[in-house]
Amino acid sequence: MWKKRGQKEDLSKLEGVVTFFGSHHALMAEKVLKNNGFKAVLIPGPRAISPNCGVALRFAFEAGDQIKLILERNFVTYESIHLYPH
Amino acid sequence: MRLRYFDNAATSWPKPRSVQTAVSEFFRRGGGNPGRSGHVKAIEAGRTVLEARELLARLFNNDDPSHIVFTKNCTEALNLAIFGLLKPGDQVVTTSMEHNSVLRPLKFLEDSGVRVCIAEADSQGRVSPESIAEAVISETALVVVTHASNVCGTITDIESIGRCCRERGVALLVDAAQTAGCVPIDVKQTEVDFLAFSGHKGFLGPQGTGGLYIRDPDRLQPLMRGGTGSLSDREEQPEFLPDRFESGTLNVYGLAGLRAGIAYISKNGVENIQKHDLRLLRILLEELSGESKITLYGPCDGTGQTGVLSLNVQDRSPSEVGEALEKRFGILTRVGLHCAPRAHRTLNTFPHGTVRLSWGIFTTERDVLAVARALKSLAVRH
Repeated sequence: MWKKRGQKEDLSKLEGVVTFFGSHHALMAEKVLKNNGFKAVLIPGPRAISPNCGVALRFAFEAGDQIKLILERNFVTYESIHLYPH
Repeated sequence: MRLRYFDNAATSWPKPRSVQTAVSEFFRRGGGNPGRSGHVKAIEAGRTVLEARELLARLFNNDDPSHIVFTKNCTEALNLAIFGLLKPGDQVVTTSMEHNSVLRPLKFLEDSGVRVCIAEADSQGRVSPESIAEAVISETALVVVTHASNVCGTITDIESIGRCCRERGVALLVDAAQTAGCVPIDVKQTEVDFLAFSGHKGFLGPQGTGGLYIRDPDRLQPLMRGGTGSLSDREEQPEFLPDRFESGTLNVYGLAGLRAGIAYISKNGVENIQKHDLRLLRILLEELSGESKITLYGPCDGTGQTGVLSLNVQDRSPSEVGEALEKRFGILTRVGLHCAPRAHRTLNTFPHGTVRLSWGIFTTERDVLAVARALKSLAVRH
């Protein structure tokens, strides 16, 4: 359950950000994306793009369209999806 | 002297080792505030809460875990549903077997113009679905029933009552304080609109935990409003679940333990726990039913009852029996009115009350035989 010391996520290819209204939704999103084989990392919510929730989710840009599909298929509420190309 | 704990209907004891470990681990390594930041400790705390929610949703057969909101106990959950739904001019139907956690809020609301109709149970604590149906009128906004009496363990037929409420378009609130974790509950099958539960009884979690399942959040106003970590730029309460009903920091230490408790219950299977409770009930009934000086209350047929048995010993007050059980035999019970005076009137045990034995997952056959022996000896000696 707890991350071991020295174990770090590789964020170099994560270029998309999903914002949420509440943290419950962010945690649900992380779970369903991971269950579907996507790499998703919870990060402090960037205030510049959303004032809503303290947690946002970063994901690989290539997965953009599928992220939306998976969240909607699993009835996970999100605020918006932001894509940042390389 | 070895203590034998027969007060599980008040709070379960002992708790599984995994529950103790989960709480201390959250103290030691967790400690963040769920939903308040994006740092690792806040996220771990959020995961702890989410997993407790998911386990509960699975256990109650509800698809969306956000429809489970946490409170500090079952009483708060009942208050949330009662005060959140009823308005002056509404009528509410409840039963004579309710705990004060239902009757006192309703009594208070009577003064603000809510009409309260109480359906009488029979002398064994059984509430007939017909008596509920008869009490429902066009102004009825809510039916509140206990799933099982905390005094005598009688289980209410919430499936039939749920159907009756659905047919009439009335919301149903079920008080599952005595059954959550001990009796299977399926919110889809029973068409329950609100289900209030305790975390520290059948779920084996720490005290200070409880919650409410909410089918339709639009029917309910929050009991409290405040910080949720979401929509922080607005002064209005968020409308979405679970934040709408969870203002202020949750008891995550408690919920970490509750998560472990529900995991323990789920692993063992609620059906098996119910079978265990009923097996011990039948042993007690067999041992005690022939005793002319011991009066047993409730159905006492070995079914339709939780792991609770209320009794009296002839010519002895409940408190006298309770004291003797503790001092001479190390048996811990609860005596008196059990916060349910109306239920005791229904059972004809008001105002003295009864001696209540309540057991659980860790109670053994040897424990109940020791209780039976102790009671017989108290009855004979008098």
